[in-house]
Amino acid sequence: MSDRSVPSASGSAAQEPLREQRDFARSFDSLEQIFAVVRRMLDARGVGEADAYAIAMAIEELFTNMVKYNAQGLGRIGLEIVCGDKDVTCSLVDPDSERFDINAMPDANVHLPVEQRRPGGLGIHLIRRMVDSIDYDYAGRRSRITFRKTLNRAWAEPAGATGGGSDKNQSE
Amino acid sequence: MFDISHGPDGTIVFSGRLDAAQCAKAEAFIDAAGPAQAFDFGGLEYISSAGLGVLLRRHKRLVASGARLRLINVNSHIYDIFRFSGFDQVFDVQRAGS
Repeated sequence: MSDRSVPSASGSAAQEPLREQRDFARSFDSLEQIFAVVRRMLDARGVGEADAYAIAMAIEELFTNMVKYNAQGLGRIGLEIVCGDKDVTCSLVDPDSERFDINAMPDANVHLPVEQRRPGGLGIHLIRRMVDSIDYDYAGRRSRITFRKTLNRAWAEPAGATGGGSDKNQSE
Repeated sequence: MFDISHGPDGTIVFSGRLDAAQCAKAEAFIDAAGPAQAFDFGGLEYISSAGLGVLLRRHKRLVASGARLRLINVNSHIYDIFRFSGFDQVFDVQRAGS
């Protein structure tokens, strides 16, 4: 892991956004380091468990997609995080990739019988329900996926869901 | 940190975080464990779609033998992941504290 982190503003009365910018080897083995960086930042800002789960999961799903579907890509995968008082914005940057707009992917069909269910596509399906927005930008073989998560807001209900399974956000 | 071990009554006990980097470890343990049908998630904090794939593959093997995967002590966040993915209708899911 190369460290290009910007010093945090933890403890600042003005609550300046916390910022981190790092890059990681194109490997699932990087996840432990990624989670450590993210956890440290979110803890410093007192982000609740539900929000932290959603942010970690969105990062994992996007990062592992870049690893799985572009294993031959050159260079390390960048992660940028900005943690404000009300929301967190994360960008994952693949410096050497084909164009692949994840927003063009359909949702997984979660109503298929079990014998037809496949795990593929579930990651994007899930994070669409956990974050507020996902943006894709592609230029010069560089893919950037940015998501924003409003803090202290419950995950979205799936269409047709019944009953309240969520304990909402434990930081509320 | 992820750990998986044998529990009482033939259960398999999960703890920590089941992310994409840990799925091979989980799958190898489950495959070697024999016909266990119940997974205790009391110590499991996190699961991603890669972990769901591990559960789905196990469940499909159980269904082929007329059984069904049972997940017990599931925390509320993981339960929501099951709901969003429709897996709450596939597995027998028991929430923590219920």
